[in-house]
This record gives sequence, structure tokens and C-alpha cells, in this order.
Amino acid sequence: MSSLHDTRRAELEALEARFALRVAGRLGERAQALPHDLSERLRVGREHALQRARRLRQADAALAEAPQWVAQGRSAAAQGPSWGLRLASAAPLVMLVLGLVFIQHLHRQAEIRAAADVDAALLADDLPPEAYGDPGFVAFLKQPEP
Amino acid sequence: MATDKELSDFLKSTEKRAFKRTAYAVRDEDAALDIVQDAMIRLAEKYADRPLAEMPLIFNRILSNATMDWFRRQKVRHSVLQNFSDLEPADGADSFDLLELLESADGAAAIPGPAEHLSREQTLALIDQAVAELPARQREAFLLRYWEELDTAETALVMGVTEGSVKTHCSRAVHALATALAAKGLKP
Repeated sequence: MSSLHDTRRAELEALEARFALRVAGRLGERAQALPHDLSERLRVGREHALQRARRLRQADAALAEAPQWVAQGRSAAAQGPSWGLRLASAAPLVMLVLGLVFIQHLHRQAEIRAAADVDAALLADDLPPEAYGDPGFVAFLKQPEP
Repeated sequence: MATDKELSDFLKSTEKRAFKRTAYAVRDEDAALDIVQDAMIRLAEKYADRPLAEMPLIFNRILSNATMDWFRRQKVRHSVLQNFSDLEPADGADSFDLLELLESADGAAAIPGPAEHLSREQTLALIDQAVAELPARQREAFLLRYWEELDTAETALVMGVTEGSVKTHCSRAVHALATALAAKGLKP
């Protein structure tokens, strides 16, 4: 029973394959008769693909024949910069930050010195500092000189 | 490793079938040309060092992937998949005698053809149309198996399905084609 079923199944598959191959044959005929512009565009596409592959192979061959240091350079470039190079690249930035901190420190010191100079001048003057808080003295200062 | 000439000859022998297969799927000649060219570039750039015997399988796989990429880019894949299921015929829906169709087609060489009122070109166009109207997965399985002449395992690999699924798709495609062609009074 099973054998009969298998035989029928095999026969059906063979029939299907014959039919399918016949249809595929007709499709092949039609595909071969593609319009000229499509065939040309396919040809150009194929040649473009082959040309790109050729260039790639030539570049690989040139690399294989190049001096060792060129290969090393290219491989280093492909791997990205080394840690030393990265640190060296960061150095100018660190210097800039340190410079800004130093300038701010100098500026602050200059402000303190200027304030100290004013204080010293006030304390060393004959006029007592309290005089500047006296409204009469302020009015006196505003008077035009005779 | 395939030589330049072997690769060129291989592409030349397969490019028209590849174009037709892709055009069936995307239904846009310009897009199909772009996809085929993209697949040829990928094959030539990345797999030119593989043996010539492996080229058909690799190329068809690349082409299928490139076609799927196109659908993804078009963001219509979901609707296409929806269409697949809409177009799948119910089991047993086709009622015809494949043997009868084949036998009458065998006899067609000696006696006037079944499409005697149609020119050969029209007949081919109708067969082409019948294939184009197949559900996408059935059509892909059918074309890979019988047009590209991949075996069942290779077809399954390209389509990313099981061999059983390939057999089912192919069988359904054959029956659907036979029904469609018989309805038009044609025999392949």
C-alpha cells in the first residue's frame, strides 16, 4: 500500500518536474529576447561590477607587494591611533586648561594686590577713613574749587 | 577561484534570468536592474575568489537578499507578505489533470499548437504573465528550482526555508501554472 503510494507520489513529482522544466524553457526563450536597452543596461552593469572587482584585486595585489612599512602603516591606520598618539593629541587641550587656570590665578592675585594698595593708601593718608562716611565731607568734596 | 573571464561568463549567462526573476518580484524594471547590478557588484567584489561551481548558489542568495533589502527600503514588506497570504490558494483548489496537459503538450510538436490563434510571442507573454501572477514564495521556489536549476537543498538555502517547504511551494506553483495556462487554452 505504502509502496503504491510512493510510486504514485514519484510519478506525480516526475510529471511536475517535466511540466516545470517546459515552462522554464519558455521563460528562458522570453528572457533571451529582452529589449535591447535592457540587455545593454545589464551588460553595462556587469562590466561595472567586474571593473570594480578588478580594481579591488589590483589594490590588494599592490598592498601585498608594497614594502613592509607601508603595510604596517596601512594596518596601523586601519586599527586607529595608538595610545601614545591619543595622549599626544590630548596634550594641547590639557595645556590650554592649565594655562586658563594659571591666568585666572594671576588675575585673582592682581585684584588682591590692587585692593591691598587701596587699603594701604587709605590707612597711610592723613585723612582718617571714617571721613569718607561723613555726609558733610562728601558735600565738601563735591563743592567746586574756588 | 574563478578567473575574470569565468566570472564574466557566469554573470553573462545568468543576468537575464536574474533580471526577470527580480522584475517578477519587485514589478519595476528600473529597480530590478539596480538590484541585479548591486548583486553582481557584491558577487564580484566579495566572492570572486570562490570556485566557479559555487557561483550560482552564492549569486542567487545575494540576489534574494538584495531583493529583500529593496523591499525593506521601500517599507512595503509587510504589505507584500500580506499579499502572499492573500494569494495563496487553498489546498486542493486546483482541479486539472497535469498528465493530460503534459500529454497534449507532447503531441503539440507534431500537430498544430494549442495556441494556434496566438503568435509564439503572445504565447510566451501569457506564460510570462502566469508566472508573474504566482504567489511570490511559490514563484521564487519555482524559478530557483527549475529555471536556475538549483537542487532542493540549494533552493531551501537561498530561500531560508526547509526542503519540504520548497517541495510544497514548487508543487503548488506547478499546479497553479497548469491551471492558469489551461484556462487560457495554452500548454507550455
